[in-house]
Formats: sequence, C-alpha cells, structure tokens
Amino acid sequence: MSCMNAKQRKFSCRWVLIFACATMLLTGSLFVVSNAYDANILKMGLLQEPKTLNVWRASDRWSRKVVGLMYQALYVRDPKTLELIPWLAAAPPEFDEKTLCYTVKIRPAKWSDGTELTSEDVAFTGRFINEFRVPRYRSKWNFVKKIETPDKRTVKFYLKEPKAIFVSRSLTTPIVQKKEWTALAEAARKTKKPLKRLLNEKIKNPVSSGPFVLKEWRQGAFLYLEKNKHFFGTGQKIQGRLLGPYIDGVIFKIYGTSDASILSLKKGTIDMFWWGIQPGYIEDLRANPDIELFQNEKSALYYMGFNVRKAPFKDANLRRAIATLVDEDFIIKRILQGYGIRMYSIIPPGNSFWYNPNVPRYGEGLDREARIKKAFGILRDAGYTWKVPPVDNSGKVVNGEGIKLPDGKPMEKFTILTPPADYDPHRAMCGMMMQEWLRMLGIPAYSKPMAFGALLQQVKVRRDFDAFVLGYGNLSLDPDYLRNFFISTNNKKRGWNMSGYNNPHFDKIANESASAMNREKRRSLIWEMQKIIIGDVPYIPLYDPKLIEAVRKGRFKGWVQMLGGVGNIWSFCQLKPM
Amino acid sequence: MELRKYIARRMIQIIIIFFVILTVLFLLFRLAPGDPVSMMVDPDMTQEDAEILIVQLGLDRSIGVQYFIYLKNFFVGHFGFSFHYGEPVVDIILNRLPNTILLFTTSIILSALVGVFLGKIASWHKGKKTDSVMTIGALVTHTLFLPWLALILIWVFAYKFGWFPINGMISEEVWLDPEAGFIARALDVMYHMVLPLSTLFLIHFGAYLLIMRSSMLETLKEDYILTARAKGLTEKVIRNHHAAPNAALPVVTSVGLSLAFSINGGALTETVFTWPGIGRELVSSVSQNDYPLAQACFLMIAGVVLVSNLVVDVLYAYLDPRIRY
Repeated sequence: MSCMNAKQRKFSCRWVLIFACATMLLTGSLFVVSNAYDANILKMGLLQEPKTLNVWRASDRWSRKVVGLMYQALYVRDPKTLELIPWLAAAPPEFDEKTLCYTVKIRPAKWSDGTELTSEDVAFTGRFINEFRVPRYRSKWNFVKKIETPDKRTVKFYLKEPKAIFVSRSLTTPIVQKKEWTALAEAARKTKKPLKRLLNEKIKNPVSSGPFVLKEWRQGAFLYLEKNKHFFGTGQKIQGRLLGPYIDGVIFKIYGTSDASILSLKKGTIDMFWWGIQPGYIEDLRANPDIELFQNEKSALYYMGFNVRKAPFKDANLRRAIATLVDEDFIIKRILQGYGIRMYSIIPPGNSFWYNPNVPRYGEGLDREARIKKAFGILRDAGYTWKVPPVDNSGKVVNGEGIKLPDGKPMEKFTILTPPADYDPHRAMCGMMMQEWLRMLGIPAYSKPMAFGALLQQVKVRRDFDAFVLGYGNLSLDPDYLRNFFISTNNKKRGWNMSGYNNPHFDKIANESASAMNREKRRSLIWEMQKIIIGDVPYIPLYDPKLIEAVRKGRFKGWVQMLGGVGNIWSFCQLKPM
Repeated sequence: MELRKYIARRMIQIIIIFFVILTVLFLLFRLAPGDPVSMMVDPDMTQEDAEILIVQLGLDRSIGVQYFIYLKNFFVGHFGFSFHYGEPVVDIILNRLPNTILLFTTSIILSALVGVFLGKIASWHKGKKTDSVMTIGALVTHTLFLPWLALILIWVFAYKFGWFPINGMISEEVWLDPEAGFIARALDVMYHMVLPLSTLFLIHFGAYLLIMRSSMLETLKEDYILTARAKGLTEKVIRNHHAAPNAALPVVTSVGLSLAFSINGGALTETVFTWPGIGRELVSSVSQNDYPLAQACFLMIAGVVLVSNLVVDVLYAYLDPRIRY
C-alpha cells in the first residue's frame, strides 16, 4: 500500500507541475502579445454592454453613451453656462415670428465615409422621424409642418404652432446620414410594420459625424471607436475650446459589477469608469494617488409622489404635513453620506436658469420635535383628530395614535412603494425612514419595496397605489418635463402625471409655457409652475445625488466638468495624452 | 427491443412535457408583475410614444392572439425579436451560447475528472488522514459562496498579483492586434478562463468527490470485490478496474445533468467575471421583461434538460448491462 501511495503522490505532483507550467507559459506568451499592442487609446469601463448602435432604438443609457459620440446634433450645451451653442450648426437659429420659421445655417462638415453633411441630411432626419413616428423623437418633431433646404447649408423649419421646445429638444436631435437611411427606409416602407423594421435594423457600421467612428464591436467584450478623421470640429475653436480629438480612439470595456470596474481602474486596465461611484468606494479611491475624483451635479430628481386622486392624499394639508415631517437633510447626510444636494423644487438647482429658489420650504432648519409639532399644527387646523395626539396638552411630543380624517373616518393603512434595496438602497432606505417619521405622527404608513418593473406598472399603468418613491437620473435641461409631470391631460394610463394632479390654473400656465417663444417670459411661467407644485405638493422633492466619477491620473488630461459629469462630448474632443 | 420501446415512450412524454413548459412559460411572463414598456420609456417620451412601442412589440394584441403567434413562431423556429436588442432572439442566443458551453462544460468535465479521481483515493484510504483532508476540503470548497470566492480570487490573483485578468473573456489588446493569430487568440481566451474556471472547479469538484467516495465505499463491500481479492489481483487493478467503473454510475448521472444545465450558465459566475454567456443574458432579460429572449432561453434549457435525462437513462443501460427498461 505504501508503495502505491508514493506512486500516487508522484502522479499527482506530476500533474500539478504540468498545470503550473502550462499556466505560466500561457501567461508569459500573452504578455508578449500584449506588449505588441500599444496605442494612444482611452479605455472606458461600462457597467453594461450597449444594446444597439441603431440611434432610433437606443433607449438604454449605455447605447446612448456610445451612439452620442457618433451621431451629432445641430446644437449642444456649453459646459459652463449650459446654454445651447451651435455644433453642427454654424450660428444660432433665426426665428421669424410671422411665418413661425426657424432658419439654421450648417457648418461645412463631413460624414465618416467622406461624403458631405448637408442640409438634406438634416431635413431627412426630421422628415424620417415624422414619417415613421419614431417614439423617442416623434413628440419633438410632430409640430414641424415642413422642412425646406434652400441650399446645401441652409435648413428652414416651419412650425404648425409656436413651440418653446423646438430649439432645445428638436434641434438637439442626432442627425443621421440620408444616404445610409434612405435604402433602409425604402425597405421598411414595403413591410407591414415599417417602424418595427427600422427599430430592429442592426446597424453594423454607423456613419458618424462625431469625433469617433466604430472600428470594431466584439459583443460581450469591448467596443472600439477610432478617431473620425472627417470630424468637423478637428482644429476648430468652439466656445473658445480648440477641438481634437487628440486621442486615437476609445475602447469601451464591459464590466458586470462596480467591484470589477473599480479594481480595473485601480489596476490601470481602464482610464475611467463611466458611471457614478457609490459612496462606499469613494474613500478608498480618494486615498489612491493614481486616481482622480470629479464631483459634479446631476440633472436628477428623486422624490416622493402621492396618489392625489383618492383619500387620504387628495388633501393638500396632509401632503404639506408630510412634507414638513420628511427630513431631507437627514436623508442626504445619513443615507447618501453627504453626496447629494437638497431639492426644494422639481427642477434641480444645477439647472440654474429654470430653477426657482423661492418656492415654499417645508420644515427647513427644524429638528424632529419641531417638525412633528408643525405637522401636527397643520393637520389639527385642517380638522384631523387623534385618539392619542402626537403633541400632548403640555406641548410634549409623544407617539401619536388613531389619526382620523376631517370627516371623522379613521385613516386607513397606506403603503409607500419603493424600489428594492438591491436596485437602489437609497430609495429603499428613504421609504423606511418616511414610514418611521409618519408613524411618529400617528399616520399608519408602511414602506413596501417591490421589483422595479412591478413598481412602475403599479404606478404608471394600473395607478393603484397610495404613495411611492421614484426618481429620474437624467432629466433634460429643458424644463418641459414639469408640464408633462403635472398637466391634467397626462393623467391617464402610461401618462407622466402619475400623481393624478389636476389644477386648471396650473394647466393654463403650463400650456402657455409650452408655446412661449420668449425665453424670459417662459422662465417666469416655469417659476410660477414650480411655486404652484411645491405649494400643492403632489411630489415632495427629496434629493439630487452628486455624481462622483473616477479617472486614472497620468495618462490623459483635459477632462471637462459639467452638469452630468466629465463623460461628455467636450471631454472626448479635448482629452490629450500626457 | 425493450429499450427502443422505452425510448419511444419517453420521447412522447418529452414532447408533451415540452408543450406544457411552452405554455406555462408564456403565461408566467404575462402574469408576472412588471411591464416591458414602462422600463423603456423616459420623461422624453409621451404616452402616445409608449402606445406606439406597445404596438411595435406586439403587446397590443390579446393574450390569446399573442399565444397563437408564439406557438406559430416556435414551430417555424423563430423566437421573435428581443425587446431590448431589437435582434432576433436566436442570433443573441447563438452568440452567447458557445461562451457558456466553453466555460461551464470545461469546468464540469474538469471537476468530474478530478472529483472522481480524488473520491476514489479518499474511499481507498477511508478513515485515514488522506480521507479526512479530502472530505473536509471537498465539503468546505463545495459550500463556499460562489460570488465571495470569485471576488477573493479576483482580488488576490488578478488585482494583487496581477497574474490574470480581472474579468472578461478576451483582451482587446490581443483581438485588435492584426498580427495576433488563431493561437494567440485561443490562448487569450484560455488565459481569461483561468479564474472563472478555478472558481467553478473549486465549487463543484467536491460534490463529485463526495458522490464517488460514497459510491466506492458501497461498491467495495460487494462480493465481486472480495472475489477479485481472492483471485490475487493487485489493489490497483481491483480499485481501478473492478470498483471504480461500477462506483462511477451515480457520477455519470450527475455529470450528465450538470452538462445539460451548463447551457444556462451561471448568472453569478458570468456576472462577476463579465463572462458573455447565457446566464447573464437570462437574468437581464427576465429583469427587463424582455419576454421573447427570456422565453427562448428557458425553452432551450428545458429542451436540453429533458433530452439529457433521456440520454442519461439510456447511458445507464449501456454502462450497466443489468439495467433494462
């Protein structure tokens, strides 16, 4: 037996040695191959793979990040002022009030295949969207009556009616090449569902007008964009910025988890992780001398919404009392660990032109006890009664019990729907905290996390809910969403007025704002709308998370910071190797 | 002849079961909470846009009509278009499936070979130090939490020592290098496989070891082993030629079923290592209510598992002539 054991050990050792040698050989051989490849390429980590390069289908943020580097718009936002500035356009649009016509001049520009980008491409894009009713863009173009191209550098857009969003939303639509899409459109017209055919079109080699063009896409692994040698901006100075790109290309590497992406960033496998860094990772990255952190505001809104169609939340006094109870500072300090901005209005403060800072502020600067007393006062004055009031006769705060509505009926239990903690721990935790704060006042609130898809269905489609905590991570800089969220005509299945808010005065101002072509006039209307909404509280704005992004030091310089982070077109056009 | 009848009977059963699965899957996704369109719209889109999308996805039709189209498509081998990719579901599956098969089949075969080999040795040394070390080692590794083990391996061998890549299946450095040929690319894939393969191996080999050990211990009590000893055969011959082949039957069942299940990959392993396989796609399609993709993935798994069950049963009869159906 002992002889056999020795033989077995010898056998096992042999295999272990063979395996070890093979591994080393393999590793060594690859290092040789790796060294053969060396280029001035920016490597970006993405959390998920883009689903498509079809600009009309791209609805996920990963596809849009990549597509945004290839398909360009007539106007983009200046990183400092956030004003719209000409990009593919040569100058600001000229508006003729009499004919409702916008005239746009186009810069000399080329597509990545070397052909000229002309007014025909711009007109084709608008006509294409209207003809096929492309979902993401249709509502930004369906008020355009006709598009004319007097010459190859001029486009005239005639509107059916005045529309304030035309410049900010329609003229920021990505322009596609007529040559590329004409044949596809022709084929689609012959099918029963032309739009479906176009949305399902697999675009293998998108023709780009942006700083980069697709070189190779290995699905599941990486996507490589190389410098577009025909990019119109190369060598041009726009808004005082001399544009490149100065790098040879961008490689997007796909990571399934933040852990893997951050390890790769620390190791130097990627130069930037194109996603917000969660607070838990920040201190570790801050201590790393090879990593630079950028902190920027987002155009985001996280909020608590009420179903104002039914009791108890059809009563604005109850909503105001809850707004007083909700401690946004606590949420930002404790739940977001300080990486958030307090929201007073529906429009984020970073969107400074449209943000109204003079809206009612509930419970600001009050401690918990003072909040309870103030909320108690609001409800008591509105006719609410308690079995055990939350503030006793001596003015001491106690646990309230048995709250009754002004009509004498006991307030029934209600739920605050939140996304689950694995989807968004912050919102789930906010729901828990709100439950506790409301219970202190004797309000029978129950926080209920549910799968995100189911939550959306419950709130947007079925409209069967009491209250919810949701958010928008990337709101447009045009404030038209304020109208969409609260106008009564959107109070229908799948409409954006999820709360069921109905205020004819608000509707009137909202409609006026949609057609106000004077920017200052529109601002005053938008400010008024914010005041009404925060006064009536169908939503309680909670926070706007700060966007923390991490990049490697020492390889590239020239990151441009703006609302929404450093991963923007300006950075990609200005990054230089160090 | 009996075996043929048995196979024919089982084939009919499989067809019936598959049809039931086909129906249950369809209903399950429609009845589960969640709405594919709500996940695709953002504040830039109006409710009219959402309605247009519903029509494009075919969700405006009644459940009955949708079911009929689903069945019709299935019989012509067309599983529809993914709601999110906009590509034919078959193309997506065919793109991901080889990656999953490569990783998981390799891990199962490697785990089974090592597990059987070590199980054989452990049983032969029952009660001794070798047996204790192997059994405890197998139990410990088999019960480890896979994502934890994977992250530890990544942290130690990829991040700290830098021996292996942190994730992925290929390096862009190799695949974009025009001079890198087939061998360099194959080596690159193998290089990326080391950590996920090691994780899967460490988790799974213990199970095969324990099955083999237990089965061997039962087999060693058999009369024919005593007979073999009485005949004066060497211990090696008794162990390897008389005991092990008979003891390996339960392992064959286990390996057969594991191989079948390997096509669904492992969502956790594929996510942690960003392995572009079916497991990740399955999870993402379910969470995003991408009905066509999720249905096709589950159908594929169901089909392979049903067929492999039959194959294992037939293989049993082949390996053990005493078994007849």
